Amino acid sequence: MATIITITSGKGGVGKTTTSASIASGLAMRGFKTAVIDFDVGLRNLDLIMGCERRVVYDFVNVIQGDANLHQALIKDKNTENLFVLPASQTRDKDALTEEGVEKVLKELEHQGFDYIVCDSPAGIEHGAVMALTFADEAIVVTNPEVSSVRDSDRILGIIQSKSRRAIEGREPVKEHLLVTRYSPKRAVEGEMLTYTDIQELLRIPLLGVIPESEAVLHASNQGIPAILQKDTPVSDAYLDAIGRFLGETHPLRFVDYDKPGLLKRLFGGK
Amino acid sequence: MPRRREPRPAPALELKTARLAGIQIILNSAEHAALDTHITTLFAATPDFFGGEPAVFECARLPADAAPPDWAWLVQELKSRGLNPFAVQNASAALAAAAVQAGLLVLNAAAAAAAPVAVAAAPEPAAAPAPQMASAAPTRIIDKPLRSGQRVYAAGGDIVVLAAVNPGAEVIADGSIHVYAPLKGRALAGARGDTSARIFTTHLEAELVSIAGVYRTFDTALDAAVAGKPAQIRLADASQIIIDPL
Repeated sequence: MATIITITSGKGGVGKTTTSASIASGLAMRGFKTAVIDFDVGLRNLDLIMGCERRVVYDFVNVIQGDANLHQALIKDKNTENLFVLPASQTRDKDALTEEGVEKVLKELEHQGFDYIVCDSPAGIEHGAVMALTFADEAIVVTNPEVSSVRDSDRILGIIQSKSRRAIEGREPVKEHLLVTRYSPKRAVEGEMLTYTDIQELLRIPLLGVIPESEAVLHASNQGIPAILQKDTPVSDAYLDAIGRFLGETHPLRFVDYDKPGLLKRLFGGK
Repeated sequence: MPRRREPRPAPALELKTARLAGIQIILNSAEHAALDTHITTLFAATPDFFGGEPAVFECARLPADAAPPDWAWLVQELKSRGLNPFAVQNASAALAAAAVQAGLLVLNAAAAAAAPVAVAAAPEPAAAPAPQMASAAPTRIIDKPLRSGQRVYAAGGDIVVLAAVNPGAEVIADGSIHVYAPLKGRALAGARGDTSARIFTTHLEAELVSIAGVYRTFDTALDAAVAGKPAQIRLADASQIIIDPL
């Protein structure tokens, strides 16, 4: 039984694709056969973050429309075993995503023995975003510590609760997780940003993790290597912790406290 | 072993108040011929629409000096169409007296006092204790957070929200609104013009409140006595929103 995880946020530029790449890589590193699908048809990015843009021949829309089979379109990731990327089409628009087509592809992935299918949602609340969350079993809502991002996340949570298949069919609801990204403990403490507790208080869903703001993310994107693979950076550690929590482990939050900068902070981590 | 309490046997009979849903049959005329033709045409297309629902004759629109309709016949006609009339309300003394003779209950106290005490002779009516007919819709209860863009409407009644109403969410009720959590979105009570509707919350941080169409936004900060605190919002003089700490 494959678990479908939708990475969504409502707002753009908060780190959905970075998170999709890292979560998918992290799950694959744990030995799960994982596929990551770019639902952002027309604004294809995931392939760049995953560093496979030069190997894209067929895409998600080709598979939906029957121009290629899934096997031809899936790109085997070069960094991580067990990981496959299904890129978006850059030349179509989101109307090419039909509910039947998406369902067919997801079913086929499940049939091929995938454990996790990570859906990288486009921004917004329109057709593309709805298609990405329709079949979700779990949703990771990526939120930046600022009010507009939090409100958009709130909105997308409402849409998950009304438009997902699980909601429509009255099954057990989609399991929701909050992932706060681009978090700067210093600015949160100084009141320039919302704190992660503020965000959680408003959204009221379990916290999966807090990913610190870091230049390592930009470096990772430029190199086409998921941020989780940037060994020994706070971002990578925070994503690894989040993967652990996703799989039911307990990890204390790290990189959320701001004390006087010092060497010991790194060693002792969070609380 | 934990000590066990002896289970108390349930009593054979318990009394509780109840509000039952039923049908109001509003009488605009007491004239036999008019009622007969209208009942026939009304139920012609959908003879099975009702399934034995209890019903009450509402007599407020009948003229005070109207001759009583043939209650027994009327009850029989409606029973054959799936409605079970068991009482009259707002009936004049004469109407009520005739109704009692026909085995109907009289619901409103004033008329009941005026009605002759000939009840003993009347046969037992269909429904045993006189239930109070529900005039308001049941209260709607929401126990999940209301998120930005979500909107709930309690038609005809009150709404109780047990989780946060987030910014951008809207709670609307024809009656009053109770939010036992932070109210950060919009709350519109008395949506169909009930000026006595109120809004209650344990944590007032609303974007907008409205009662019977009179609204107030909170562009300027709320009074410190109520901001983020338990508060009640009501309408004074049908035109002014009053916010009191609770």
